[in-house]
Amino acid sequence: MVAGAQTHRLANGGVIDRSTSLSFRFDGKTLLGFQGDTLASALVANGVKLVGRSFKYHRPRGILTAGSEEPNALVELRTGARREANTKATTAELYEGLEAASQNRWPSLNFDVMSVNQLFAPIFVAGFYYKTFMWPAKFWETIYEPAIRRAAGLGRAAGVSDPDHYDKAWAHCDVVIAGSGPTGLAAALAAGRSGARVILCEEDFVLGGRLLADGGTIDGLPAAEWVARTVAELEAMPDVRIMTRTTLFGVYDGGTYGAIERVNDHLPVPPEHQVRQRLWRIVAKRCVVAAGSIERPIVFAGNDTPGVMMASAMRSYINRYAAAPARRIALFTNNEDGWRTAETAIAAGLQVAAVIDARPDVSPAHRSLASKAGFPVLHGSVSGVDGGKNGVRKISVALTGGARAEAEADGLAVSGGWNPAVGLTSYHRGRPKWRDDIAAFVPDGAPPGMIAAGAANGAFGLGACLREGFEAGAVAARDAGRSGNIGSMPVADDEAFSLTPLWHVAGKGKAFVDQQHDVTASDVELAQREGFESVEHLKRYTTLGMATDQGKTSNVAGLAIMAAVTGKSIPETGTTIYRPPYVPVAIGAFAGHHRDENFHATRLTPSHQWAAEQGAVFVDTGLWKRAQWYPRAGEKDWLESVTREVKAVRSGVGFCDVSTLGKIDVHGPDAGAFLDRVYINAFSSLAVGKARYGLMLREDGIVYDDGTTSRLAEDHYFLTTTTAKAGLVMQHLEFCRQVLFPELDVQLTSVSDQWAQFSIAGPKTRDLLKEIVDPAEDLSNEGFPFMGAREVKLRGGLKARLFRISFSGEMAFEISVPARYGEAMARNLMIAGKPFGVTPYGTEALGVMRIEKGHVAGPELNGTTTAGDLGLGKMMSTKKDFIGRVMAGREALVAPDRQVVVGIKPTDKARRLRSGAHIIPKGETPGPGNDQGYVTSVCFSPVLDQWIGLGLVERGRERIGEIVRAHDPLRGEDYDVELCNSVFYDPDGGRQRG
Amino acid sequence: MADFSWDVRSPLDRALVAGRYGAQGDVGVSLTEIRNFDLVQVMARRGQAGEMIAAAKARFGVGAPETPKAVSASDATLIWSGPDQFFVLSKGGKHTMESLTPGFAGSASLSDQSHARALISISGEKARAIFAKLSSIDLHPDVFGVGTAAATSMDHTSVTLWRGGDRDGQAVFNLLVFATFAESLWHTILDSAAEYGATIGHSEDL
Amino acid sequence: MRIICPYCGERELGEFTYLGDAKPQRPAADAGEDAVYDYVYLRDNIAGVMSEHWYHGGGCRAWLKVTRNTLTHEISAVEPAAGVGAAKVGA
Repeated sequence: MVAGAQTHRLANGGVIDRSTSLSFRFDGKTLLGFQGDTLASALVANGVKLVGRSFKYHRPRGILTAGSEEPNALVELRTGARREANTKATTAELYEGLEAASQNRWPSLNFDVMSVNQLFAPIFVAGFYYKTFMWPAKFWETIYEPAIRRAAGLGRAAGVSDPDHYDKAWAHCDVVIAGSGPTGLAAALAAGRSGARVILCEEDFVLGGRLLADGGTIDGLPAAEWVARTVAELEAMPDVRIMTRTTLFGVYDGGTYGAIERVNDHLPVPPEHQVRQRLWRIVAKRCVVAAGSIERPIVFAGNDTPGVMMASAMRSYINRYAAAPARRIALFTNNEDGWRTAETAIAAGLQVAAVIDARPDVSPAHRSLASKAGFPVLHGSVSGVDGGKNGVRKISVALTGGARAEAEADGLAVSGGWNPAVGLTSYHRGRPKWRDDIAAFVPDGAPPGMIAAGAANGAFGLGACLREGFEAGAVAARDAGRSGNIGSMPVADDEAFSLTPLWHVAGKGKAFVDQQHDVTASDVELAQREGFESVEHLKRYTTLGMATDQGKTSNVAGLAIMAAVTGKSIPETGTTIYRPPYVPVAIGAFAGHHRDENFHATRLTPSHQWAAEQGAVFVDTGLWKRAQWYPRAGEKDWLESVTREVKAVRSGVGFCDVSTLGKIDVHGPDAGAFLDRVYINAFSSLAVGKARYGLMLREDGIVYDDGTTSRLAEDHYFLTTTTAKAGLVMQHLEFCRQVLFPELDVQLTSVSDQWAQFSIAGPKTRDLLKEIVDPAEDLSNEGFPFMGAREVKLRGGLKARLFRISFSGEMAFEISVPARYGEAMARNLMIAGKPFGVTPYGTEALGVMRIEKGHVAGPELNGTTTAGDLGLGKMMSTKKDFIGRVMAGREALVAPDRQVVVGIKPTDKARRLRSGAHIIPKGETPGPGNDQGYVTSVCFSPVLDQWIGLGLVERGRERIGEIVRAHDPLRGEDYDVELCNSVFYDPDGGRQRG
Repeated sequence: MADFSWDVRSPLDRALVAGRYGAQGDVGVSLTEIRNFDLVQVMARRGQAGEMIAAAKARFGVGAPETPKAVSASDATLIWSGPDQFFVLSKGGKHTMESLTPGFAGSASLSDQSHARALISISGEKARAIFAKLSSIDLHPDVFGVGTAAATSMDHTSVTLWRGGDRDGQAVFNLLVFATFAESLWHTILDSAAEYGATIGHSEDL
Repeated sequence: MRIICPYCGERELGEFTYLGDAKPQRPAADAGEDAVYDYVYLRDNIAGVMSEHWYHGGGCRAWLKVTRNTLTHEISAVEPAAGVGAAKVGA
């Protein structure tokens, strides 16, 4: 297929590279553009007027603007996994091979079935959903919502994972500047010359802002030359960073700004190793907002017809892109500035059909322009537009005084004045103030450290922009402590500005306020009639300003119309709250590197590599990867592997990497006194060389954490925490040390990563240890009794710490070696244990053995249980103060009917017990009134050859032997269980002491 | 009797692949893991900060840092790690926990961290560009000069960062990372470095 | 938000953990249940300037007392908790 000729490309001019022709496809049709085009400007150059269908009514829509405020020209950009919906054609840079498709039409843009919605338009008014789909309620999910979703909406998501990478970065500077128009460049000059570290953010891919479209003379130079000279000066400054394709989108506390850099959106695919977009968090002492202003439409019937375009956007297309949006242009303006579009059109050799000026007077210069160029100046307003999907054909004009006129044109430029971009200055709940002279909201103060300047501050003249920008840059740099010579200020003349406010022209036909959300002037009026007068209600009832453009071209017009129907002024009507982001930011950019396997940081145990070689199945435990079990060939499922591991430990010997436990060195002369205050039981009395199980409460009396703590020296304890609470316990202990008990001489260090720790358990543990520990070490029951803890020498001289503690209920030790020896330790345990059939076991077997032994863990230490509930109430010392002591004694926390830990086993030995099942008395109907607790932990016990569990059951310990119901509505199960002693295995503890 | 070998294994042993990584062409950054070091945390006891500093001076000839700085002694680096505490970093076997303990008796509590951290040195033209993605702190030379240290976080992971002496006119940033997080953070560093091209290796030169 | 740690300098919020009102003082061991109840449960929730405990866990591990305006997030003072720097006070 032959590429379309660029029928609307002007012969000369433009900031485009005519030597680099780019081929692209829009709705399957191949077209050509140039390097430097946006998708929108390339479409304009190809004479494409119809770009999409509207959200609700499927009305044909064209291109309204030339920037990030665009409500209409939204496309699906790219294809496949990279397809991105609702991309603004006005900011999408053209590249070779670009593919874009129009949205919200079927089967094609030209013939769209759903445009029948326009016929039903009277019912699609504000509040339509709220009023229409009230009942029957069940119809909502099955009929109404799917139908509405099919009809309404914009582009389609890709539906598959984004193949590109995104990242996040921090930047620091004295002054960050938003916008590189005359204001921003002047600010950067002043700040840069004063020696400040400057970041200049420009969302466009070219610097210059409105100068690119409107030109002008600065310091006697044509604007383009001044921009080039200024940029060269800035680039020579080592601490000035110019970031194009970067939108400053948010302002956060403490001088932190969010910016999105579209690093490679201008390429079909990011180069290898590069990201598509980067999210910046910029920390700046000062910020200059030079974000300019946005030209606003006038609302009239047919104002959404393709070919109706903002007057300034037309100048952008003609001057910057050398693309003619129309050949015969009508202009509707209420201000002096709009006339520049007529001047631009004539200079470009285009026809001006008429200028419709709503003001009573037109300057003599413009009158003579009109007579010289031969077009009429009509005093009045546009009352209607003839045309459709192929664009504007004829403009109807209501003349001041009541007569009517018409003008034939294929394009209509509209200027309703300018709205300063007050988003950034209002993001800390600031409310802009109204200025009558320019009939616009301007910033009224700003977040700390921020200065608005130029058009963003309501100063529209070029001279004023340079002045305000330069001053703001100088002040910002000075406030940041930079005082270099700022040199001379760039100078330009100020253009005349006169405006007669006009927001809405009454007339027949739909007049759109918010084109992206299809909100009309009559919707605003209806909202008022129905009582939604507050701007916040107006916004939500009509959805005005809630689309992806955030109402940049529509909000103020909406307020003005509401003001008119309520008889209030615009400032009385007020604005809604402004919130970031200023432009849509992809969630992928916020996620950055943190997706898939990098979603969070991962911690690996010292023996991870060895466990992986053994074929371990790993489980995520918080940030950790832990070996869950070690399957062997021929084992049919996890249960078979876990059962084998448990039996091997209980009959021989096994080992498990328990390095994930939190480990804390507690040092200092007051270490014992300190531990006495954080544990319910005493530690100052613990002998050197001994370990003790300790329980910590929260100050409200609820159990916080548990673990064993050993005394390694008079002034040195080694404390362990649960895996889950390791970080939190460290934080808690630091709070106790620094805030609660500053008088104690105690020092804390995390040694979690210093030690690789292994539990070695089973009747043959000593046999194994004798192989690996230096023969001089006495491991006998007398030489190393239960709960002993001391340093030992290993064969070969390495020192290790040995603790005689048991979680499994077997004869067991835990052994610690410096972490880099962790892997060697695992290998050597395998070698040393080979004669005894040593078996590595994972967290599942660990869990089975602790349940068999009745030890509590995370499911029982659940943030609601007391020491008493866990059967550990007797540990609470009465001889000392400790955290949680007083609150633990409250009536409800010691009430006899509390749910306490008890053993549970199904009466049918073949039945599987499930955690989460509720405990209901026999013969009662399940319900909240009869709920006496629940099953917290379960396992298949190889020792008992049946499923067993622990549970929290009302008065459980008094009810041993009672048969109750385990009611499990989630899984549809209900069966009898027996309450029993929570220690299922070796209740006397003879095995672990032996 | 079975034969045991007690080889040490770096926490980056698996993840570190020496050679080039990422974009080809110019090397934007060098990533070097330093192995075989001793690292001891020294924490002053209550009211003993002065004595601790004096003890450091007696041992190393330089005072312990009282602000976030890294101080070089002839055969060790003393790195601030928090209020009234610092690390002693030295070549393996040089200043071990055992050898340091007597000198600080009474003035400080010592905790061996030699195995608790991995040490990564990052330098090159793009080092700061990579740190911009990893670290929230300002590493501009005016702010973070030679000898500046920071206890901070990267990728939600606590790290100790300090700027060593320049090498080939380029800043050298050193990073102590918790050993169990090291592989994960290493992958994050590689991700950050890929676009600039990295050269990767390990060394025992402190 | 950014907090100027008295030891580390200005750092981003992500390095800190919030605890809450720093005003309540842990009662003495013999203060009785009512005093402890007040300490544990009763907290001011001021729309304005408040003294709060923050933990610089992602940095130097110092507990800090931060004076912050809860309406504007303006931080007017940051000081270490009592026990931080105890190494410099007399034993």
